[in-house]
Amino acid sequence: MARINDVGGTQGFGAIDTTDDTEPFHADWEARVVGLYNTLRAQGIFNTNEFRDAIESMPPGEYLAASYYERWFTAICALLERKGVLEPGALDD
Amino acid sequence: MTDAHPAAPDMAAPDLAAPDPAAPEMAAPDRFPPGTRVRTYRHDPPHHTRLPRYARGKRGVVVEPEGPEELADISARGRGDAPVEQIYAVRFEARDLWGEGDHHVVLDLWESYLEEDPDDER
Amino acid sequence: MTSGDHHTDATIARRVRRLETLLEEKGLITGERLDEAIDAFLAESSPANGARVVARAWTDDAYRARLLADGTAAVRELGYMEGSFQRLRVVENTASRHNVVVCTLCSCYPLRLLGPSPSWYKSEAYRSRVVREPREVLREFGLELPPGTDITVWDSSAETRYLVLPRRPEGTEGLGEEELAALVTRNALIGTAAL
Repeated sequence: MARINDVGGTQGFGAIDTTDDTEPFHADWEARVVGLYNTLRAQGIFNTNEFRDAIESMPPGEYLAASYYERWFTAICALLERKGVLEPGALDD
Repeated sequence: MTDAHPAAPDMAAPDLAAPDPAAPEMAAPDRFPPGTRVRTYRHDPPHHTRLPRYARGKRGVVVEPEGPEELADISARGRGDAPVEQIYAVRFEARDLWGEGDHHVVLDLWESYLEEDPDDER
Repeated sequence: MTSGDHHTDATIARRVRRLETLLEEKGLITGERLDEAIDAFLAESSPANGARVVARAWTDDAYRARLLADGTAAVRELGYMEGSFQRLRVVENTASRHNVVVCTLCSCYPLRLLGPSPSWYKSEAYRSRVVREPREVLREFGLELPPGTDITVWDSSAETRYLVLPRRPEGTEGLGEEELAALVTRNALIGTAAL
């Protein structure tokens, strides 16, 4: 029952899209998420191992469907909820 | 919020504003000198760990120690009391991991992920 | 891999903005601080850094020896990775040995020396396959290695980050350090290309 992130040797992910994309971010919100991660971690709100754990704890279907920085954002929100900083549903419309 | 070793490893971000910590102190000397044949744990822990499943219960050879760090498995629970362990670069042969292949894979593994190979026939 | 595939960018952008506002209200962040963090992230990290390290190693044997013995100390000589807790191991390609780097569990990467990682490095396809069938994966990148080449895949599972020292291209004897650095590609520093 390894977690969904543990993909080494898993078959079925297909060919690699080897496109050499040089832009660090594909949307402005991705940069904001990196900024959030760095500032919150630097303040000791969470450590990197907790952050990885939060990403890995996503339900497999959601993990695979999410883009890279969507995973980051999901993990940040999950950690902030766990630590009582964020109310569940606080970001919903 | 305690984070005794705040400079946790980065996935893709530099340690902005994070202090430059001294290397964690380790109580015990290295258990596995370079060249030691080791075997990784077989079990499937119900929590965060840094031993990928493809390398569980596998034999490898210690390349060298990489330096001590807090055990990620405990640190991932947000605890400040994670034990500090030596990390070893361990080299595996592809055929030991996959049953075939002629390449090698090196993983960096915490000491408690490893035991000395009990029945080394190589 | 684009961000708009699953959630619309607009939806997630709105949620990120809301979180920012909420954290600002709680006094945990400021917009300014976030801007600084992003600027620093982009300014400190570039594949030009890794290229410069490689060019120095190609032109200075003593530096090359130091780089292979203790990568962290050697790149700090050039002003990189200062203030980082991470260790750097530089692995050298030769006529008979090839090295390639991955992180199968997440996306660990020598960010300061290579800049933000390419999407393929973070993809499940690369992470799942390169430890199992590196020769086929390298072929997809257009790199055909001679039979018998000893391939080592470095799976970055802890606090060490890996940088590949590619082989210096033939016919470059007359070039200076800067010209050599310009030849070094990001993929060569990860090991998915040769020069």
